[in-house]
Formats: sequence, structure tokens, C-alpha cells
Amino acid sequence: MSRYILGRAAQAVVVLWAAYTLTFVVLYLLPSDPVALQLGAAGIETDKLSPVQLQAAMAKYGLDRPVLEQYLSSLWGALHGDLGTSIAKQRPVTALLGERIGSTVALGAVAGVLMLVGGTVLAYLASYVRWRPARILLTRLPSVGASFPQFFIGLLLIQLFAFTLGWLPATGSDGFSSLILPALTISLLTSSLLAQVLMRSFDDTLSQAYIVTARAKGLSRAAVQWKHAFRNAALPAMTILGVIVGLTVTSAIVVETVFARNGVGKLAQESVVAQDVPVVLAIVALAAAVFVVVNLVVDLLYPLLDPRIVHVPKVSR
Amino acid sequence: MFTTSSVPRRRGVAALAIALATTLGLSACSSGSSAGSDDLGKPQAGGTLKVAFWPDNAAFSCVDPFQTYWIEHRTVIRNLADSLTDQDPETGEITPWLAKSWAIAPDGKAYTFHLRDGVTFSDGTPVDAAAIKGNVDGWLETVKATNGAAFGSSYILGLKSATVVDPLTVELDFSTPNSSFLQATSTTNLAIVAPDAFTRTPEQRCLGEYVASGAFTLDSYKPNELLTISRRPGYTWGSALSKNTKEAYLDKVEFSYVAEDSVRTGNLVSGAVDIAWPRNPFTVEDRALIEASDATVESRSLPGVSQSLFPNVTDGRPLSDLDVRQAFVKALDLKSYATTIYGDDYPVVGGAFDETTTYYVSQADKLAHDKAGAEKLLDAAGWTLGKGGYRYKDGEKLTLKNLIQVSTPGDELIQDQLKQVGIDLVLDVVPAAERPAAITNGDYDLVGTYFTRADPGALQFILDPDLANSKALAVNSSSPETLAEIKDLFATAARTTDDAVSKTAYADLQALLVDQGVTIPVVERLQYAGVSNKVGGFAFTSESFLKLNDVWKKQ
Repeated sequence: MSRYILGRAAQAVVVLWAAYTLTFVVLYLLPSDPVALQLGAAGIETDKLSPVQLQAAMAKYGLDRPVLEQYLSSLWGALHGDLGTSIAKQRPVTALLGERIGSTVALGAVAGVLMLVGGTVLAYLASYVRWRPARILLTRLPSVGASFPQFFIGLLLIQLFAFTLGWLPATGSDGFSSLILPALTISLLTSSLLAQVLMRSFDDTLSQAYIVTARAKGLSRAAVQWKHAFRNAALPAMTILGVIVGLTVTSAIVVETVFARNGVGKLAQESVVAQDVPVVLAIVALAAAVFVVVNLVVDLLYPLLDPRIVHVPKVSR
Repeated sequence: MFTTSSVPRRRGVAALAIALATTLGLSACSSGSSAGSDDLGKPQAGGTLKVAFWPDNAAFSCVDPFQTYWIEHRTVIRNLADSLTDQDPETGEITPWLAKSWAIAPDGKAYTFHLRDGVTFSDGTPVDAAAIKGNVDGWLETVKATNGAAFGSSYILGLKSATVVDPLTVELDFSTPNSSFLQATSTTNLAIVAPDAFTRTPEQRCLGEYVASGAFTLDSYKPNELLTISRRPGYTWGSALSKNTKEAYLDKVEFSYVAEDSVRTGNLVSGAVDIAWPRNPFTVEDRALIEASDATVESRSLPGVSQSLFPNVTDGRPLSDLDVRQAFVKALDLKSYATTIYGDDYPVVGGAFDETTTYYVSQADKLAHDKAGAEKLLDAAGWTLGKGGYRYKDGEKLTLKNLIQVSTPGDELIQDQLKQVGIDLVLDVVPAAERPAAITNGDYDLVGTYFTRADPGALQFILDPDLANSKALAVNSSSPETLAEIKDLFATAARTTDDAVSKTAYADLQALLVDQGVTIPVVERLQYAGVSNKVGGFAFTSESFLKLNDVWKKQ
């Protein structure tokens, strides 16, 4: 068991390093001049500077060093919790992230709860309902939810619940009520994905022999589905949890812009527009870290849900 | 509704203009300020006004008067910090504010300001001659510290030093005359802050670490999230251009940043905010929505350089040929641009400057749509019609590359208008951060920009390579001979203290710019505001910013 955990953890570290390095390479291989870009982000036009001034400005942002050295010092800093200084905003990246992350975590948490409840209830109902038209309608819903662009859904929800009904605020980061619409927008997509996977695995699980046995013992359909089928059906759904968390992060970029929330998503958008390399690098690393941690947790939970997962490799060795 | 401004210097003319402006102004000024107040009754004190801006500047979040160019933040600063002078939005006349009077030396190289007594910054220190000197010193240091990138640098050309004459008199000395400096002292960029602020870094000041003498004080500035200001108790020194020169009516004002235009408008219509303040003009649909909700739409042209395209006339590029530039101008249908994109009542641009700019002279006759004329010029220049309805010369297609940041319906409309005469306009989308490098590299034919300031000198910061933000754009946009002429006209206008000379020079300049195709005007820039029917006393400043001294909210 501890071997399994160590292996997974080592894998996670490698993925994290690869994500950081890849982002660094991509940002430095952009077709434009990184020096002009970064000085431009700080409001300095390179063609206005004398060679001496240009040299001084480059030294200030560490751009006069070789790329490999810049990479190593940036990686070394990141390992020690120093993510550098934002070029456009002239502030430490950790401070910027610190200010913005609370809002995004709250948004992600509410969206996560809505996703779990919405996705599970929908999938559960779809496999429980026997009346064919209703069943078909329920199984088609996730495709509809997953195909609408979030930008559009966000505006639709704002129009309905904020402007027409006036129940919830359209914009801002002011208390729980301002979280509901953006979280709903994100969860509409993620819960659709969850429901799709859950429905499929409910169908598979419910056709297995042990379910027939459980029914034969005289248990009701609802009880069988909840107590016996759910745990096994949840396994494939857990696998896509990492993907869903990743989606939540990317959704935050669109949703925070539409709902004028000041979170990490909007920071990402601002930094990409300004090509503020240290901030973009930090956000990608952060998103990768979240993704890696969620997948690690999922990997570690598998054996608890299904003991066969750990036993198989032991036998084969 | 829109007044063309000029600066009358002869007293008789000035007095007449002011008298006219006050009588006409009340009926002619934009609807809300008079009509709204009638419905609302007498101003009430108290309440929080909520204003929705478009997003904060991602690359440069800044509320420091001297450094910021962001129009929205110049609006905020107008209410936090007072200036030496004010400028009448109706007449363009410069009027007293922190300075009760001033004198300009005959050679134009010294400005003496006599300050109003009893004015204090919100930390209690006096606004005296030493404080003004502190600001001048601070401006000059900031120019150095930012390599001239600070926006205010453009307002203080030639400024050398300040001397305290007596506690309430200060003299500002120039190495070269700068006739637009008096107007500059009325702008937010030269608004006066407590000089203690200059002990902080430019970055700290950007985040609001300064105090000033305005009718409001800054509570907090969270970039791109919320900016809050509160009434300054005991304020009694408002400019006479405000109806209310005493304490402001509002307790607090909250400025939020909303990226989506439709959400910003919706927030106003649903009552979540009191003023929607867009950057791009409201669409026709949004204006209808706002008016249907009983809110009013206010508007005023932003003074300064109109939304224009600047050509790249470098040798070998198609626009190096004056005939092609003139054909381009004739091919544009500016009237249908204004009405199609922004609505039937939207003003048509009349030259290099918007009509609220001092010394504006309309060049509308030269900018008229003339498809046949454009075709004739192109034929004469050797560009003949060929495959696909485009023009060719020596087998080469007449393709022009326009550097844009986001593709808008307006860009596509221009593309279509040019297609009518056989010009292939390519819209090359380049993100904001890559734009400076793309311009420097010179692989473009047209690039659009603008600059907000109620003085024609504003254009120097686009066209004069020694001053411009983008040296490459300035160098590329005119031939060396034309550039010399342009610089000459700017210099003539700047060096004189005779208003008639400035007026002639700027009139010549505006004609030259269009004749030579140095600026290709596209559209007038209108600052719109959607104002709730609970709000009274709405007013634009001469720079078309929002002035809150007279604004109040029905409780």
C-alpha cells in the first residue's frame, strides 16, 4: 500500500514539474520579443529607451540573463514559495494570488457542491425512472447542459435572476448571494459531465449479477440502487473528477469576467492580455498543482472504494 | 448639444461668450442635468452613488494623477484632487480654482500663480506655494523615474523648476515656452496632491498612497474590483464652474468594474447601479433599453485626438503614395460608419480632433465619401482593377494591413467600404501586449489610436517622434518633410502668447493633416453615461469626465 502511495506521489511531482517547465518554454518561445513584451507590460516602450536605459530596465526584470538561468532561478524560487514579481502590477505574485484566491476557492467549492448534488440526482433519477419518455428526456439533458457555452448561460442567468426577477445580484463579490449565479453557471457544465458518466456506469452496474442477487433478497429498487450500485458506479465518475476540477479552473476565467468577480480566473485573463509572464506561470503551476492533487487523492481513494485495485498489481508481481 | 470650443482671450469677447454660454448653456446643455433636476426637486444630501466602469487597466492599475492615462481613473481623480485652474466645458475658457489668478510672462517662459487662501489637503496640511513647488519637483522626478512614460510628462514640456515667491504665490519657469501649459494646469494629470506623496515610489502612488484637497477622499482602491471615495467634510473651495462649491451631497461613491457591456447596462436598468459609464459608445439597443427604463443617456465628445488611423508611409509600402492615402480617405463613408455602428444621431467625425477640442476646425468637406474620386486616384496611381474585384500593380495586390486589438463591427465595415474601391484591408489582430513590438517592427500599413486632452497639443504625443509614446508610429506616419511642417506648426502654436497665432497655426495643422493623409479620421469619440432617474446634478468636465460636486441621489 505505501509503495502504491509513494509511486503516485512521485508521479504527481513529475507532472507538476513538467507543467511548470512546459509553460515556461511556451511563454519564452512566443514569436514576439520577450524583452519588448515584458517592458511593454510595465508601460515602457523599448524604442524610447537609450541602450543604457534598456540595459538597466532588462536587468531590473532579470531579462539580461540567459534563458536557462532565468528558468532555473524561477524554478528554484517557485520551490521556495517565491513566484516572482508581476511585471504589469509591480507586486509579488504570491500577494496577488493571495488576494484573489479566496474568491475563486469559494466559487469552486459552491460550484463543486452544486455539481455533486445536481449530477448525482440527475443520474440517479435517470436510471430509476421507468417511464420511457421521461427516461429519454433525463438521459438527454446532460448533452444539452454540456453543449451551451458558459458565456451564454451566464448572461442568460443574469438576465433572468438579476435583471428580470431581481432575486440575486448580477455582479460583484459581495457575500453568498453573489456566488450563486456564477457557481450555477459553472456547475451546469460540470454536473452534466458527471451525470453522463454516472448514468452510463449505473446502467453497467445494474446489469451485474450481484444486483440481481440483492433484488432477489427482496430489497426495493431504490435501496439496491443506492446501497449496492452507487459505490461501484461512482468509480468511473471519480476518474473524471480531476478533469472536472480542471474545467472549473478554466470556467472561472470566463465566469469571473462575466460576473465581474475578482478571482484568480480574472487575474489569469488580465495577465494573459498583458503577457505578464510571472503571473501566468504561477497560475498555470497552481492550476496544475490542484489538478495533480485531486488526481492523487482520487488515486488514493480507489483502493478504499474497490479493494481489487491494489491487490491486482501485487498478484501480478 | 455639442459646442465647439475656442479660447477667447480678449476680455469683451470672453465676457460675451460667457454670457451667451450661461444663457444658452442652461437650455442647450445635455438633457439630464436640467430636466432631471426638475423632476427630482431640490438636491438632497447623503447616500451612496454606485458607478459601473468598464474593466480596470490590466497592464497598469493606477490612480495617481500624474501617471495615469486611464480615462475612468481620471474621472475618479477629478473628484479626489483639485487643480490650479478649471476649464469651462462650454467655452473652453480657463477659470480660477486653487489659483485665484495668474500671470504669464511676455516671453511665455514664466507662469505666476496666486493661490487661494485657506485650502487644505485632507491630512490638514495647507495648499500653499511650497506645496505647489513640491508637486512640480515631484512631477519632474517622476518623469525621470519612469523614463518619460508617465502620462503627465506630456503636459509639462519645457517646465524647468518652481520658485516660492511668498506663501501664496508660486512661479513656474520654463526652458522653452509652452502655451498649452495653462490648459494643462486645469487637467486631472496636473491635479495637486500633498507633496508628501512624492516620498513614496511611483508604484505606491499608483495604488492610491497620496492625499489631495478634493471634495472626496479615497477610502480604498482594489484594482479591477472596487474603488470607494467619501465626502470630504469642510470642503468649501469648489471651482465656480460647479453649482455646488461647498461639501459634496453624496456620502460615498462606489466605482465597480464590469467587463461585459450588456451586464453593465443591465445593472443600471435593474437599479443595481446608478450610473453606467462605458468606454465604447453605447449601442443603439443599449440606449433604447436605458431610455425605456426611465434612466437618461448623457453624452459629450471626448476632447483630443479623434479615433483615427495612422498610416505607415515608409518607402515601398502602398501608403507611401499620397494618392493612395487620399483614395483611402475618399473610399471611407464616415457618415454611414457613425450611423451604422452607433445610431442615426451619432456625430460624424470632422478631422484629426473631436469637436470639443480647443481650436477645432472641421475638415468635413475634405472627408466626404467619394467612391468615384477614390477610383480615379487609384487608377492614376497605377493600381488597376483585376481578379476578385481587387486592384493590382505589377502583379501585386493592393493589400493594406490594419493592426487591431479586437475585431469590431466597425473594422469590418471599413474593410467592406475599401473593398468597394478594390482595396484589400487585412485586419491583423495583435494583443495589447504585443502591439508596441508589432509597431516597432513596422510590418503594418495602418494603426488606430486616440488621445484624450482638451488641447490640440495632444496630437504631438502621437506624431512627434521626440515625444510620442511609440516612436516608430510617429516616424512611420508622415514623410520627413511633412513631419518637419507638423513640428513647425506645433512649435509656432506653443511658443506664442498671442492666441490668434495659435489659432492660425492649429487651423493650418488640421488642414495639413487631412491633406497629407497623416491622420485618417474614423469616428468621433463620444463619452456616454447612463444615469438613473434617481440621480440629479449630472455634469461632464471639459475633458468629458464625470464631476460629482453637484451630483445627488434621491433617497
